[in-house]
Amino acid sequence: MKLDRRKFLLATGVTGASAFLKDLFGVDIDPSEAYAQEHDSRRGKITSTICPFCGVGCGMLVTNIGGKIVNVEGDPDHPINQGAVCSKGAAMYQISNNPRRLDKVLYRKPGATEWEEKEWDWAIPRIAANIKRTRDAGFIRKDSRGRTVNRTENIACMGGAALDNEECYTYSKLCRAMGVVYLEHQARI
Amino acid sequence: MAASFGRGAMTNHWNDIANSDCIMVIGSNAAENHPISFKYVTRAQQNGAKLISVDPRYTRTSSVSDIYAPLRSGTDIAFIGAMINYALANDLIQREYVITHTNASFLVDSKFKLEDGLFGEVKDGAYTKDTWKFQKGANGVIRKDTTLKNPNCVYQLLKKHFARYDFESASEITGTPVGDLKKVAKTFVGMSHRPEKSGTIMYAMGTTQHTHGTQNIRSYVILQLLMGNIGVAGGGINALRGESNVQGSTDHCILFHIIPGYLKCPTAGNTSLQAYLDKWTPKTKDAKSANWWGNYPKYITSLLKAFWGENAGKSNDFAYDYLPKRDANYSHMALFDAMGRGVIKGMITLGQNPAVGGPSAGQERDALGNLDWLVAVDLWETETAAFWKRPGTNPADINTEVFLLPAAGSMEKEGSVTNSGRWGQWRYRAKPAPGDAKSDLWMLDRIARELKKLYAQGGVFPDPIVNLAWNYGDGDEPDPHLVAKEINGYFTKDCTVKGKSFKKGQLIPSFAYLLDDGGTSSGNWLYCASYTEKGNMMARRTRSNLKDDPIGLNQDWAWCWPVNRRIIYNRASCDAKGVPWAPNKPVIAYDRVAGKWRGDVPDGGWPPLLKPDGTQDPKAKYSFIMRAEGHACLFAPSLKDGPLPEHYEPLESPVANFMSEQQNNPVIKIWRPEEIGDSKEYPVVATTYRVTEHWQAGAMTRNLPWLAELVPDAFVEMSCEFAAEKGIENGDRVAVKTPRATIELYAVVTPRFKPFELKGKTVHQVGLIWHFGYQGIAKGESANMLTPMVGDANTMIPEFKAFLCDVRKIGKGGVA
Amino acid sequence: MSRGVLVDTTLCTGCRGCQVACKQQNKLPPEETTFFAKAGGYQNPADLSARTYSLVTFNEVENKNGHFDWVFARRQCMHCEEPSCVSACLVGALSKTESGAVVYDETKCIGCRYCLLSCPFGVPSFEWEKTVPFVRKCTFCFTRQAGGDAPATVNGKALDSEQRARHKETQTKPACTKACHTGALMFGEREELLVEARNRIRKNPKRYVNHIYGEKEAGGTSWLYLAGVSFKKLGFPMHLGERSFPSYAKAAKDGVPHVMLGVGAMLGGFYWYNQRCAEVAKKGE
Repeated sequence: MKLDRRKFLLATGVTGASAFLKDLFGVDIDPSEAYAQEHDSRRGKITSTICPFCGVGCGMLVTNIGGKIVNVEGDPDHPINQGAVCSKGAAMYQISNNPRRLDKVLYRKPGATEWEEKEWDWAIPRIAANIKRTRDAGFIRKDSRGRTVNRTENIACMGGAALDNEECYTYSKLCRAMGVVYLEHQARI
Repeated sequence: MAASFGRGAMTNHWNDIANSDCIMVIGSNAAENHPISFKYVTRAQQNGAKLISVDPRYTRTSSVSDIYAPLRSGTDIAFIGAMINYALANDLIQREYVITHTNASFLVDSKFKLEDGLFGEVKDGAYTKDTWKFQKGANGVIRKDTTLKNPNCVYQLLKKHFARYDFESASEITGTPVGDLKKVAKTFVGMSHRPEKSGTIMYAMGTTQHTHGTQNIRSYVILQLLMGNIGVAGGGINALRGESNVQGSTDHCILFHIIPGYLKCPTAGNTSLQAYLDKWTPKTKDAKSANWWGNYPKYITSLLKAFWGENAGKSNDFAYDYLPKRDANYSHMALFDAMGRGVIKGMITLGQNPAVGGPSAGQERDALGNLDWLVAVDLWETETAAFWKRPGTNPADINTEVFLLPAAGSMEKEGSVTNSGRWGQWRYRAKPAPGDAKSDLWMLDRIARELKKLYAQGGVFPDPIVNLAWNYGDGDEPDPHLVAKEINGYFTKDCTVKGKSFKKGQLIPSFAYLLDDGGTSSGNWLYCASYTEKGNMMARRTRSNLKDDPIGLNQDWAWCWPVNRRIIYNRASCDAKGVPWAPNKPVIAYDRVAGKWRGDVPDGGWPPLLKPDGTQDPKAKYSFIMRAEGHACLFAPSLKDGPLPEHYEPLESPVANFMSEQQNNPVIKIWRPEEIGDSKEYPVVATTYRVTEHWQAGAMTRNLPWLAELVPDAFVEMSCEFAAEKGIENGDRVAVKTPRATIELYAVVTPRFKPFELKGKTVHQVGLIWHFGYQGIAKGESANMLTPMVGDANTMIPEFKAFLCDVRKIGKGGVA
Repeated sequence: MSRGVLVDTTLCTGCRGCQVACKQQNKLPPEETTFFAKAGGYQNPADLSARTYSLVTFNEVENKNGHFDWVFARRQCMHCEEPSCVSACLVGALSKTESGAVVYDETKCIGCRYCLLSCPFGVPSFEWEKTVPFVRKCTFCFTRQAGGDAPATVNGKALDSEQRARHKETQTKPACTKACHTGALMFGEREELLVEARNRIRKNPKRYVNHIYGEKEAGGTSWLYLAGVSFKKLGFPMHLGERSFPSYAKAAKDGVPHVMLGVGAMLGGFYWYNQRCAEVAKKGE
């Protein structure tokens, strides 16, 4: 059977991908265009990343076309996985393309039954004011034996194993500056 | 491991597993939870290595193993103890390694003994440790007997201690058939005690999440040191980290007891920087000990300079007062206990979900309701963020103000993560985050700047905040490169160090150049050398080939702490003359002509202990440079619960301790004694675990449709024998009950679980998957509702892996 | 040269990277599941479908040495050497390419579903829930195989020649075979894979049953399997014989060359025969 280019594309199920792209992004593209976009990676911007799941640290390549992530697969250059992925790594695409992702600041008033959407400019000052109010109310300059301790025991900070090092470090630093001692993350549980 | 070797991290790295001759997976299920590690396990097997899987349940790891041995949860010490005994009794150890690199020859206080399961006196819940010390000569140096014959030497003490762990006794405790136990011992010891061969241990939370978790690891340490398996290619004790950056987050010490670079968090008694240094800087009188931690003053001073910049100087003790001083334990369980008591009023959580992941999770959920405010940062609406509307609660009764901040995913920001093998790897931003979502760094930056603004106008002790060095660019986005450079560190003045001149503002080439006089800043000395004047070392992308790099060190790929050393303790891969034990897979070797080490970055550049003619080299140092005494610890006096591992039962156990009268680890803290179950009411052993298809507390995978499809709901696995007893069929709904809670989930009935025979008593064990909660696409009940609030004596890691429960059928599943 | 995949089930750890990589490659929607599809482990979904082109099966079995074993096998289009679906198709919507893939042209498909009926492995699926449904199955990542030049840059930096070669090699593999980390899925020329499979059995006769599934089944398939247990225990159809299904139809086809419908019906008959054999085989167990 001789296939011309268009038939070749259709035959191989690219139309499905095209329909998918349409559903997902509202972009109606010709199947051959879809083929080119999906498989002529020279047209996409490809960046490397490290899988966000377990501690093996596999390399992944992410293809961005038109501001959307259209493909995530193993990085063949990476010395550990050499292009391979497990089921979690293979599903990374859905972290980016997922209607369940939070994209607004959500706020819940005490006693409220629902979230309300807020802006950053409202949330950050309010959070900082909460921290200050709580810290100032409970800050301990000296312990019962008169030794300088400069700590606050009424604020707890958690988390970090999913953050970047630069975030972990600044978090650790900021918490110490605030005097936080209840500082814990996933390493212990 | 820190108590044994000086560091707590994975000793080797993923690719190195391929170099092993025998791989024992115990306390982990690497094929499922670190799947790509099996690229290297498989490769090793294809080169002739044997894979041993030790697990209460036949797992996907067991499915490709050469030997599978079941053991009851929480009995690792008895299991490994039998292997150690087999090695010592048959003299199947790497003797020269043991004498050269470990403290086997050290003489211990002659009054040290184990009696009735105790290593001496316990007072107020702690050992007095009177006898846990080495004999010292007049010069202050530890006395040794390198013939290993002195009855007080560590080697003889080990022999005596482990003689009690014969195969039969161990089998009665572990439930492992004697034949299987022998097979594992003979295979692992038989292969890996040979100098040219190596064996590795891959462990994870199955080891640590016990009341004697640290001592479980200690048993691996002793076995591996006797085998000569530390520091060598294909060897090591490999702690498999479960999150992409839990190594990095631990290195940066988001933990109550340490500050970045594993420096001790100052305690109230450390009243000045000098007092702090006097307390924590280890000292040695042995000239041959490098005692690397002797550099403590340089590291803490450089950290204080990174934190408070110009505001940290000699005049104010480098702002030492700004650091909070602790004098209690503020670990995870203490934190939620304090929250439950109303002590904690506000909480920030960045990507952590304790409502699913914490022990006795129901109580943690309740405790969250005591907060005035909660800031949760995540990609998803997690159980923790939504705790106020969880099933069975009335939101109107919960007065916590909750902020749920939308976070950028890993592909939507730039920065580095450190994998289990200590590789810091740079990630690029593929696209901006959706909508208003922002990186955690952006949020931290905004909050810090806002706090600085507020405290500039006054407040309680505003100094550490107002004076905090916070310079990550002026744009909307803080610059992660500036943070990475701060972590690495700068020279803060023009100076000359080790014969090299540096200008103020230059990046520091490595931690060997750090100063204790404020001339350098470094946010984390361990990462000093990760971002230098040569560029961002973590972004390097050159993969090596097998021809030039036969053991797969990949030294030009990314960057590895410390100082790009790929296998730590690698000086132990050579004999006292610097010749590799395994010439076919050398990690390093001493080049006599050039007068330096070749291969991996050595653990210090000093020459080997002996010259070629067998005489002592005066410039030499011992191999374990992170220990003050320079040797790896077979006998480790620094732990809270004993210098040697001894079998104790998990806090909740179906049997008495067959080894001694001491049922449990004598120095553990039990938070809620009234909630501990006994085996009459709760006869079944339970453990928790993970599967390949989900990750941790589940938000990152239960929200992904492809993964929700594969494992859609929570389940408990049980043997066919137990299921038959209870009338349960595969797919039925069952209730699992402990004193903490009762949860309902699906039953998976499988021959992969088998009942254990313990001294003639049949004991059943079940296993629960713990990733689930009430949010996401795939919902299910959380196994951590059931787990007890009790932890390891040293680390306070909760005992998730062994507790008691009862199981009953509640409904027909109607599934195959 | 015709390409294929050698599936060595003894190397599979059941991580299901291949199964999800297939979903990612084809951007397939998820299936609704509530528990596991069957006893024996964590298999989901129950069967191949228009949303699931490949599926890892979990099997708790006794191996050839009499020991308990947990074996992970894989289902997807076998890409038969002489595919009955191609012969059964009335309009030429399915074809076997020279490189081995059995490909589908939905512009030609009339929706008769004879291909579903004729397939000895029960692979092609129909989009029943759609208003304009098509047939779906594994494409053997034909587009990857055909395209897949190395990207010009990664992180804005040009690749060197070594990297380019590496990218080209992995990007032209089917997504599932690229995803596999243990080597359980090996992509290559079918003839070479057969040699490899025979070598593995010869070198390690204790590890494997002496059977390369797909070498001869239904006249031979592009996908080949090795296992340490009888394929019957892994749920593979064992009654297919060594002759391709279309070869049975050939006589009829030669006799009445223009009556395509007859051939379709004939192959439809094979569906009946196929099912019947399966039933008989089941009763015999």
